[in-house]
Amino acid sequence: MKYVQAFFAVAGWTILLGASAVAGDVKVIANPSVKVESISARELKSLYLGEKSSINGTHVEPVIERRGPAHEAFLRDYLGQTDDELQKYYEALVFTGRGSMPKTVSSDAEVVAYVAKTRGAIGYVGTGASVEGVRTLAIADSNGGERQLVTRVEPKYPLDLQKRSIGGTVRLKVFIAANGSVDHVDLLGGNPILGESAVTAVQKWKYAAANSKTTMEISVPFDPSR
Amino acid sequence: MYHRVLGLIFVSLCLCQAPMQAQDFKLFDRDVQIHGFASQGFVHTSDNNWLTMNTSGFGSGEFTDFGANASTQITDKFRIGAQLYDRNLGGLGRWHPTLDWALATYKFTPWFGIRGGKVKTVMGLYNDTQDLDFLHTFVLLPQSVYPTDLRDVTLAHTGGDIFGDLPVGNRFGTLSYTAYAGHRNDSPYGGFAYLVNSDGGTFNSFGGLQYGGDLRWATPLKGLLVGVSRMNEDLTLDFLIAGTDFRLNSSSDWTNQYYGQYSRKKLVVDAEYRRYWTDLGTQGVSMIEEDVRGWYVAGSYHVAKRVQVGSYFSHYWLNYPISGLLSSGTGHDYDKVITVRFDPNRFTNIKLEGHFMDGYGLPDQYPNGFYAANNPQGFKPNTNALVIKAGVHF
Repeated sequence: MKYVQAFFAVAGWTILLGASAVAGDVKVIANPSVKVESISARELKSLYLGEKSSINGTHVEPVIERRGPAHEAFLRDYLGQTDDELQKYYEALVFTGRGSMPKTVSSDAEVVAYVAKTRGAIGYVGTGASVEGVRTLAIADSNGGERQLVTRVEPKYPLDLQKRSIGGTVRLKVFIAANGSVDHVDLLGGNPILGESAVTAVQKWKYAAANSKTTMEISVPFDPSR
Repeated sequence: MYHRVLGLIFVSLCLCQAPMQAQDFKLFDRDVQIHGFASQGFVHTSDNNWLTMNTSGFGSGEFTDFGANASTQITDKFRIGAQLYDRNLGGLGRWHPTLDWALATYKFTPWFGIRGGKVKTVMGLYNDTQDLDFLHTFVLLPQSVYPTDLRDVTLAHTGGDIFGDLPVGNRFGTLSYTAYAGHRNDSPYGGFAYLVNSDGGTFNSFGGLQYGGDLRWATPLKGLLVGVSRMNEDLTLDFLIAGTDFRLNSSSDWTNQYYGQYSRKKLVVDAEYRRYWTDLGTQGVSMIEEDVRGWYVAGSYHVAKRVQVGSYFSHYWLNYPISGLLSSGTGHDYDKVITVRFDPNRFTNIKLEGHFMDGYGLPDQYPNGFYAANNPQGFKPNTNALVIKAGVHF
């Protein structure tokens, strides 16, 4: 019998190893009654875990998707949980009297439709989804939009512009992965040639790792006198 | 018997259904959610009978439970709800439904809320969810810390809680607290009553004031949670032996629990330690002292989306030093467990579990899954058990 026990014990503990990953990207949407333009990743997590139920005094009702790439990406990037963990979390709340099961729908289109018609609703969809009738919220980092910059690459000043004393500031939106690398950069404003140079440099920047993916808006100055 | 058959039929029917949904309806313009669960188990043991069932022959299917709840959010911050629960586990529960919880909660802010009514007690990792089979990899949680025959002792209190998540800064994780006070009242179909009644006595009541708290820290290290719980009690045990009424009061009764959990992707590792101390007596004379210490280390892993495997080692040790009413002694139960869980869909699960136990506690003196009344032939030192359970929830 001891050999049988030993076999089961070794087999059980040996199998407790492994990993997996999923891929995807999402945007967060809200009913127009939710009067905010952006939300921090931490706030978003608190809303979905039932720790908070309002933003700026407006009651907020989160909506989740049953499955799909947007759902997987949202769980990974903003909640840091697997679907199984999230379900168990909600079920523990529901069956101990501490919370409700959030509204669950099956597709991006259903999320958009529900959020559009429901006051206070907030949801997530894939980046390619049509978001007519809802507000798209920017996601700011939980530390007021700041993440510590670890590696900075200075942008190259285009020589023609510098010779002509053309400078200015470009504004960029930086999408930073949880591991600190820059996913991509959007040019928000400023000289497009300077902007192109800034985007190329910022894409090589490295930030400190965080619990989730974040976005930041930054300004990059170009001073022709320097 | 017909209850068992009905239970089996119900669970089987549910398992054959397409995925079920929670039932929502409107009442006075409020959304009301209805949720429920049911499970049916079977236990076979190699030697000693276990958990008040006759498990050592063919086995026993007297292992059924179910519950249902309704809840609604009255306002942004105020919610109410209630849950009924019923079980039959050998000589425990006996199909007598209980109000599992019924409470009203008002959350002023994320860091301060209150709830009152009959409230599930937050203690350790799983005290408040120990009946919710579908949340756990294992059929039976480690019995050294979560003894199913003594679930009444810590499960819920009639009183109130304050709770919240303290803002300690993003870099320091999240600190959650609960403090509570209320009244505990053991079921006449629980483990203490079963022990008293099967020893020739008549159980009247066991309960009293219960207060304590829980502090848990979701650390900055992703997936790592640590915590500590404390419970103090002021109890009275009332029972008859040979026509004489005994009322024993606790002069000291407390529980400390320390716990940690680490989860990373498909792996979850838990560890908990609980020590329970009580000193019951009458007129200042100590008659029953118990020092119960239990700990376990458990791991579970998702080998596939719907398949989990798990294993734990559970260590139970009891010291019963005072020989007032009963004789003194020590006892232990070391349990090695391996489990496979399969979820055919999101709402159903089937579990297969093996237990390899060394020891059986002190069955004549303190409930620990093994009872002399179920083992008139005496106890053998080791017990192996096969446990199968199927459950459904919505």
